Amino acid sequence: MSYKERSIWASLAVLTYIWFQYFSGMNNLYDSQALNIDTINELLFDAVVMTIVLEILLQITIAIIDHKDADFDDDERDKLITLHGCNNAYYVLVLGAHIAVFYTVFPTLSSRLLPYIDLPNGYFVMHVIIVFALLSEIIRLITQIRYYRRGF
Amino acid sequence: MTKVITNNIRRLRFDYDEMTQKALAEAIKVSRQTVVAIEKGKYSPSLEVAFKIADVFNTSLDRVFQYQEIENKE
Repeated sequence: MSYKERSIWASLAVLTYIWFQYFSGMNNLYDSQALNIDTINELLFDAVVMTIVLEILLQITIAIIDHKDADFDDDERDKLITLHGCNNAYYVLVLGAHIAVFYTVFPTLSSRLLPYIDLPNGYFVMHVIIVFALLSEIIRLITQIRYYRRGF
Repeated sequence: MTKVITNNIRRLRFDYDEMTQKALAEAIKVSRQTVVAIEKGKYSPSLEVAFKIADVFNTSLDRVFQYQEIENKE
């Protein structure tokens, strides 16, 4: 497995683990009826900090292990694979942006969908954006892994 | 029958003092993984890289890459 592939797998693992923890934490808070703005902000802060710290640590570790390849700049194939990944991620992100705009324009819909969660509409929209940003990032990384494995 | 791009890089490397994939990658300034992908026909390089490969082996482009028909495997 090349340095690039290792790096992408590490990012995918960090992203999936941290944000799974975040949403399961939210679910636990909801079950214990402690879901409010303060607890969400706390969870969100932890998730963002943990993502940054873990990502830096893992990328440094991989670069130390594979230091020869880490020094090498992206070649044309790497750039093309990144481009394909970003292209696929873009569709998901645009879909998320449209849904977020939709809920901002029609805020009553979100309260009908989630009548038991007593949160401002802004938080609902924020989570729509977070979910779709997360999905688009996962799509980007999976597309890159697929192209590195199978070629094109 | 479909037309695909094939290449003789593996044979050319062998003829050229058994040049390693790493050495070729360094000569044309791409990663070894890209050379592997080109050799296996999984990636078609840009014209610039194709010319660089031909230049490394002191040969013409058509001796490195061919666009030819292959039989479809059913």
